[in-house]
Amino acid sequence: MMQYASLLIALPLFSAFFVPLIKRAGKKLILPYLTLVTLIQTGIAAWAFKEVYTTGKPIIVLAGGFQPPVGINLYIGHFAALFVLIIAVVSFFMAVFSMKAIDVEPIDKYAMLFLLLMLGATGMIATGDIFNLFVFMEITAISAYALTAYNKTREASEAAMKYIILGGIGSSFFLVGVALLYGSLGTLNLAQIAMIASKMNPAVAQAALALLVFGLAVEAELFPLNAWAPDAYQASPHPVTVMFSAFVVKAGLYAMVRIVYLFKDTPAFMGILNLILILGTLTVVIGELSALRQTNVKRMLAYSSIAQIGLIAVGFGVATPHAVDATVFHMLNHAVVKALMFLAVGYVGVTVGSPHMENFKGLGKRMPLTAFAITVGAISVVGIPLFNIFWSKFKLLLAALQVGKTGIVALILGASLVEAVYYFRLIHTMWFEEGKGEKVEEELALGVIMLLLVALIIVIGVYPEPVWNLVQKAAADLYNVANYIKNVPLLGVSL
Amino acid sequence: MISAYYFGAISLILIGLYATLTKRNLLKILVGLSIMETGVNLLLISVGYVSGRTAPILTEGATPQTAVDPIPQALVLTAIVIGVATTALALTVAINLYEKYKTLDIEKIRGLRG
Repeated sequence: MMQYASLLIALPLFSAFFVPLIKRAGKKLILPYLTLVTLIQTGIAAWAFKEVYTTGKPIIVLAGGFQPPVGINLYIGHFAALFVLIIAVVSFFMAVFSMKAIDVEPIDKYAMLFLLLMLGATGMIATGDIFNLFVFMEITAISAYALTAYNKTREASEAAMKYIILGGIGSSFFLVGVALLYGSLGTLNLAQIAMIASKMNPAVAQAALALLVFGLAVEAELFPLNAWAPDAYQASPHPVTVMFSAFVVKAGLYAMVRIVYLFKDTPAFMGILNLILILGTLTVVIGELSALRQTNVKRMLAYSSIAQIGLIAVGFGVATPHAVDATVFHMLNHAVVKALMFLAVGYVGVTVGSPHMENFKGLGKRMPLTAFAITVGAISVVGIPLFNIFWSKFKLLLAALQVGKTGIVALILGASLVEAVYYFRLIHTMWFEEGKGEKVEEELALGVIMLLLVALIIVIGVYPEPVWNLVQKAAADLYNVANYIKNVPLLGVSL
Repeated sequence: MISAYYFGAISLILIGLYATLTKRNLLKILVGLSIMETGVNLLLISVGYVSGRTAPILTEGATPQTAVDPIPQALVLTAIVIGVATTALALTVAINLYEKYKTLDIEKIRGLRG
């Protein structure tokens, strides 16, 4: 029964290969096919989620039946189950949105890359082997490069080029880190690395982890390797932007945190945490300040998203159990909110031409539902009570206070203040400024998706307890490395 | 003896990184990326190299005691394939960029700002 979880990887991969056959049958069928595949993926992910959370045990898939560390294993624990579900649901929504938003040919290539992007992010979160992680990272990255360039405009090519160059540097760094780890420990299995991590020379471990962190910082959008992100967010097709913000960057962050936390009990850990704290803080400051002076709403949201990612990195850098709980909660909330906002802004972009601030004047009269969705998202990001991000920011604040890091408290409050400035400006533009244009008939399917996400934001905001309980389990999966080692059936190792 | 391999591999990585970060011509940057990837691959191979042993291919007379570590070689095979894919994609985008901007100078390719 457990082996069925490998379908999470196999289904998008094989479906991507079948896209050319579907194209034979008719071009119109490609996007419905994409929607169907993502819907099935959502079903499998929901099954895995239910299985993991009811039994309380992770699903371990052994590739080819070989026991790790000889074979590669997938590890779908509480964290992976939750985020694989988020990936599948967001992909499904975006497949629906693609029907409206994508009119550039070749649509079959788009569907293929879309599935591969979903596959890569799922694999990064589910794998239990560091080189397999690299392969999935490259699958994600290469399909992301191609999707960024998909619109074939000047900006799209330029953004993709920046992304490719930074991604190439990042993947080389990552591989050097893997070489250092393998050279000193002789294994690539994450659980086994964690088990024998203390045998590694601390200086080498620190160098290897720093290289891995820098390598993953490209995908995780941490300063200074995030220069590609605003350009790519702005230039790529709207559904792809949602996917970048909602889960590709989360997969990168997860991989980084998973690898770093494997070294929790070694002397190298503190130094790396400081590195992550510094990178995260710089990301927040630069992201928020750049967001302030944007006139393109999509680019503004991109910077805001980067700043939130910085906050998540800071939370992981604090690394107490409370902070990790709050951070995973923030990751979940951020995925929901940014999926909603990029979807709504992308929809405006599709309808009126470009997501420039000009076009948002008087949007409340022309597209009331979309404007309402953007407003709820904006209020939530700022951290107003009764909306979901309030709780995660608040819990992160408490966790930072607990360990006496007042600098982080100031950072979170300052970031919220800056966010309030530019988001309230956007809300003001939408509702209180006169704009021209007729009222637009809003698409039913997209309206339903937006209302669902809005409802989720408010429900989590009013009743945070059930989700908070889920998230605590997911965070424990990240933090409790001893449990992680115990759950993976390593060959010839008895504990 | 082994340290010579490490030295060579790391110098290749640094040469590639230098070219990537300082050159203005897009093609030179991509060549730099390729050099860097080659350096990383050599580093991985030298991590698994054992002096005086043969390739880890199952032939007559080859035993685990006479072959080098096969895992880094498997990794490098994968890494080479990934590198080829990235380079091919990068060159495609470079062609696109050249068609749009009529130049490969990255100082002049600046449509996106802020």
